[in-house]
Amino acid sequence: MKTMTNGQVANPSFWQKVRVFVKSNVSILLIYGLILVVGIGTAVLSENFRQFSNLVSLFRQSIVLGLLSIGQSMVVLTGGMDMSVAMTARIVNLVVATFFNANSIDALILPMLLLGGVIGAIIGAFNGFLVTRTHANPFIITFGVASVLRGIGLAISNVPIRGVPSGYLKIYDAKVAGIPVNVIVMLLIWLSAYIFTTRTRPGRALFAVGGSEHVARFSAIRVNKTLITAYVISGVFAALGGMFLLARSGVGDPSAAEGLDFQSVVAVAMGGISLYGGKGSIFGALGGVILLGLLSNVFNILQIDVYYQQLLLGLIVLVAVAAYRSPRSL
Amino acid sequence: MNNPTTPKQSTVQKRLLDIRITPRMVRWVDLAGQRAAPIGVLIVFLAAAFLAPAFYKPSNLKTISIQLAVLGIVAVGQTLALLVRSIDLSVGAVLALGAVIVVQTESGSSIGLSLIQAFGIAAIIGLANGFLITKRQVPPFVATFGMMWFIQGARLAYTKGQASGTVPELLRAISIREVGFVPAAFLVFLAVNGIVYFVIKYTHFGRWIYAVGGNPSAARYVGIKTDLVVILVHMTCSILSLFAGLVLSGYIGYIDLRLGTDYNTNSIAATIIGGTTLTGGRGNLLGTIAGVLLLVSLLNLVVVLGLPIHWQYAVQGVVLVAATALQGFRQYLLSR
Repeated sequence: MKTMTNGQVANPSFWQKVRVFVKSNVSILLIYGLILVVGIGTAVLSENFRQFSNLVSLFRQSIVLGLLSIGQSMVVLTGGMDMSVAMTARIVNLVVATFFNANSIDALILPMLLLGGVIGAIIGAFNGFLVTRTHANPFIITFGVASVLRGIGLAISNVPIRGVPSGYLKIYDAKVAGIPVNVIVMLLIWLSAYIFTTRTRPGRALFAVGGSEHVARFSAIRVNKTLITAYVISGVFAALGGMFLLARSGVGDPSAAEGLDFQSVVAVAMGGISLYGGKGSIFGALGGVILLGLLSNVFNILQIDVYYQQLLLGLIVLVAVAAYRSPRSL
Repeated sequence: MNNPTTPKQSTVQKRLLDIRITPRMVRWVDLAGQRAAPIGVLIVFLAAAFLAPAFYKPSNLKTISIQLAVLGIVAVGQTLALLVRSIDLSVGAVLALGAVIVVQTESGSSIGLSLIQAFGIAAIIGLANGFLITKRQVPPFVATFGMMWFIQGARLAYTKGQASGTVPELLRAISIREVGFVPAAFLVFLAVNGIVYFVIKYTHFGRWIYAVGGNPSAARYVGIKTDLVVILVHMTCSILSLFAGLVLSGYIGYIDLRLGTDYNTNSIAATIIGGTTLTGGRGNLLGTIAGVLLLVSLLNLVVVLGLPIHWQYAVQGVVLVAATALQGFRQYLLSR
């Protein structure tokens, strides 16, 4: 991942190696350390938390945020930000539910999954087009796109849409040896995202563009193509998140995915991916997602009032972003 | 473009995506960026005359002027934030919080005390925003968005989800009361704009704002305390949005949980369409006023035409996307 820039010795001793490792992976160690502390602390305090089923449900609860965060990571690595992920998820959720409402048959499941992915890709491509063509601030412009999508979502429906076929609900319910299939699939998706960003050419291009667009251009990397790819991936993963939400609730929900856009940014940032782009690891983003899921699980187990939950989460976010001091000054 | 190593592109791609940049085009885009809002306002007012004459009813004009005042006061703060290369996404939350504090505590304690309390809290929020942005180098939108979450949580915890209370007479007086023909809120709006206009035009602090936004490191070298300027701007922004919250609650006469949710998008959209760029140092208050007028009359037109409410989101979003695209492109052309 990162090269040893200082303290390079011909034959580093074991402790020197450890020091370099810790230095270059400090944010990842920090987030997983926090997860361990919070997890063990709650396990000691609460009987319910220790149940295996609770752990499984914890993972299953964080799938939606996980999908959105993978896409968000790709965009943040390029130095941008996609604030339209939650609304993309909602639109796909509603569109797919509308089709199912007209025709509630299992044969429609596969075409619908494809359709959802295509919608996500189109929205992502539109974002990418805006960002690369107009050189505008990605955060604000995707924020605007999100507002338009919110309007479209309300235009589609402002009441829950029924009629999802029973076969579709298996996406949420199916189990192998007591473990939900979707949890296993999600782990595979995280793994492939990790391989994509660390081992493939387009994946590495994300880092190059995020580090410096100028240098990337001189290194014969197609900057615009890389940026558009990142936004398309983000759109597709947001669409997957929306379709998973549909399988979870069983109805098309006009208020689906509310607030997940910012939560995905928080998860990514807590996982140590620099919001200025070019630095970080998908593995860290996974930590951020698990930590957020763990915290809301802990809040529920400790029966903290829902109003105080938001207050606490906001406080944690502020402390977390304040703790990371970006090396790049304005 | 100074990229000698541009990868090969097919001719179709080239024709589709590459626009030849001529000096005339740069001039036009620059002009469009500066004049988009006034031109838009003219078009909307003309369109309203044909499509919806009800737009010009005195009662509707009064509504528009009050909405203009509330969004305008927020947008003044937002303009200042954008001028120093920052942004404030907590304005909507601060606006609602202020209304809640003053209205809820009114029963029991005196109005003066709760006002001091509210403005004190707004100043602290602005200070925290500025501190996170300057001293901890958190990207402004992340810091202020996190702050928004926190404030909303605090408000929900404070009100337990149900807002209640009656709006004090003083707030009614500064918003809905009429002085001559115009509502008081409009006069308040003019006063706020006048003061801030004077400050950024004729004081050292105003020049500092443009200097910090235009080129932070140059500003630092000439001895401007850039961090202090950014922090003060954020405090001003929070205090102004709290003030806007008081005017708004005075106007609608009650408070609810959804109060102030749209003011983030709207204030940014109005400011950017008014000619302020996101990269700082370019823009002025007159443009912002035109931007606010454009947005408020567009949103009002949606209501007057009897369209469903989701059109308002679409209008907000389209204005924001179009404005950001235009200003981003303008900034790119100018700084090439």
